[in-house]
Amino acid sequence: MEIIWFGILAVLLAGYFALEGFDIGVGLLLPFTGDRDKAVGAIGPFVLANEVWLVALGGVLLGAFPLLEGEVLSAHYGVVVALLLSWIVRDAGLWFRRRLDGPGWRAFWTGAITVGSLGLALSWGGVLAGIIGGPALLGLAYGVVVAVAFAFHGWTFLAWRLPGDAVAQGARRGGAALGVSAVVAMAPALVPLGVLAGDVVDRAAPSATLSVLSLIVLPFVPVLAGAQVWVWRSFGKGAVPTFF
Amino acid sequence: MDVLDLARWQFAVTASLHFLFVALTLGLAPLVAIMHTRYVRSGNPEHERLTRFWGQIYLVNYALGIVTGLVMEFQFGLSWSGLTHYAGDVFGAPLAIETLLAFFLESTFLGLWVFGWHRLPKRLHLACIWLVTLTAYLSAFWIMVANSFLQNPAGAVLQGDRLVLTDFGALLANPTLQMAFPHVLSAGLLTGGAVMMGASAYQLFRRTAEREFFARSLRMGVITAFVGAFFVVSFGFAQIGPVESVQPNKWGANALAGVAVGNMISIGMLLFLATGILLALLKWLPNWRWLHPLVMLITPMPFITVILGWLAREEGRQPWLIYGKLTVADALTPGLTAGQITLSFVGFVGVLGLLAVVDYVLIARLVRRGPERVPLGERPVPALTF
Repeated sequence: MEIIWFGILAVLLAGYFALEGFDIGVGLLLPFTGDRDKAVGAIGPFVLANEVWLVALGGVLLGAFPLLEGEVLSAHYGVVVALLLSWIVRDAGLWFRRRLDGPGWRAFWTGAITVGSLGLALSWGGVLAGIIGGPALLGLAYGVVVAVAFAFHGWTFLAWRLPGDAVAQGARRGGAALGVSAVVAMAPALVPLGVLAGDVVDRAAPSATLSVLSLIVLPFVPVLAGAQVWVWRSFGKGAVPTFF
Repeated sequence: MDVLDLARWQFAVTASLHFLFVALTLGLAPLVAIMHTRYVRSGNPEHERLTRFWGQIYLVNYALGIVTGLVMEFQFGLSWSGLTHYAGDVFGAPLAIETLLAFFLESTFLGLWVFGWHRLPKRLHLACIWLVTLTAYLSAFWIMVANSFLQNPAGAVLQGDRLVLTDFGALLANPTLQMAFPHVLSAGLLTGGAVMMGASAYQLFRRTAEREFFARSLRMGVITAFVGAFFVVSFGFAQIGPVESVQPNKWGANALAGVAVGNMISIGMLLFLATGILLALLKWLPNWRWLHPLVMLITPMPFITVILGWLAREEGRQPWLIYGKLTVADALTPGLTAGQITLSFVGFVGVLGLLAVVDYVLIARLVRRGPERVPLGERPVPALTF
């Protein structure tokens, strides 16, 4: 049972990095993109379905690994707070940038997306380096690694979603290339998780809790997966929507 | 202020902010879903305009619900790891279920609804907003299950220095849950209805060109607010007995909780009365311009009662975090420093506070702008030509 929930934890972490990785990557690339509206529009329909993987990961930590949750978050207090604040700023940028007219308003909140995305990438580096016991400087360096991986993934996403468009310098990428860049985006998270797998499993909740969680959650996994697939089938092609 | 005070204030401010936005979300979601259903059934473009206008108000409000919610989720592990250590094996389960089965789906379907205009088949698109509503209500349910465990830790026993889950059914049968859950949902409807009628009254008072649009909205808002007020008062009184059966003298022993519960009841009754009168005058209300400022004045009232209700429930269990088992002081993260909590307090309260102000200003601006040029559901720019 612990192994199943460790698997769910790993899938959610990998999924978050593979999916939200390109949203954050596109956020990082916005200052270097000519058509920012189009770039934000490309990730727009995916963001809500992507960022929620981390919300789910937090829930699994709380429910299935509560000891780990308390230890990890409180031991890396500052950098977790930075991660949350960056996330908030990035989301505010997405939701607000088109709500009023005027170039100043939109440029300000577009800037918030980039600042938030940079904060997310760097603080993820800090959290991941921190849990394997690395010093602060390593965390910063690891953050740069995460940022570069996300930027590459974001760029590949744009070249896949809008092939030939100027948002990705006219490049065209297929689904296989996007898969490869997803693996690149996942790697910075999966390496530390693999190293720590034993410690994580040791901190799982007792089987009474895990049984209840399994009984209630597992039957719905096809529904969760189906909803995600529906997003990709609906928004992978066609005109870029304009709400965000 | 010491570390404990700051941690409590941080939780109180972020939780209250979260609740203000979530209450409106819970109220507006079914209203937008009903408008959208009418549009799909009748094909009437007026219903489409209603759905898009109120839908965007709902969404701008929703944005702050998300970002405040993120802090809520991770705050347990950050500053209250004593709680996750002592009771995480029990308390964590409903929260995990909430994130996986409710919010995960809510967020995914919301994205499909927001960006699915003119792209998804009409009926499937409509299904998305109903699924968003359903999963939002499920979210509220599981959050209330977790909260009710703090009020009355049923279904768990102490083993060593930690609580273990013995009876999941007891979590769901908790007497502090059964009446409180519909009480919260009704409070949401009251809030959503009050915002809708207040915004409509504002537009009608300004002699809007969109008279029919806002007269219709005003009527829908009043009916919803009355239904919400009726049930919020009913379930409110209905829960006093069950709650006091497990927390005797909850509102007598704590001064702040007592003041909060008293004022909540007074304002709640007043709202019930006021919305009842407005309902009786429904036929004439859109034309009676002199009454519109009064309708606008009602709008902030449900928000105030929502906060009072939260205070009554949470202050009333002090000094316990888990009633009778774990004090708030013992739940604090061991070794949390003044520097850390000050930093996060300033960061969260500052950023979320500013965003909340921006959000309410935006909602006011969108109400003022009216149903012309609503970006939600706009047709794609290069229109198809044949």
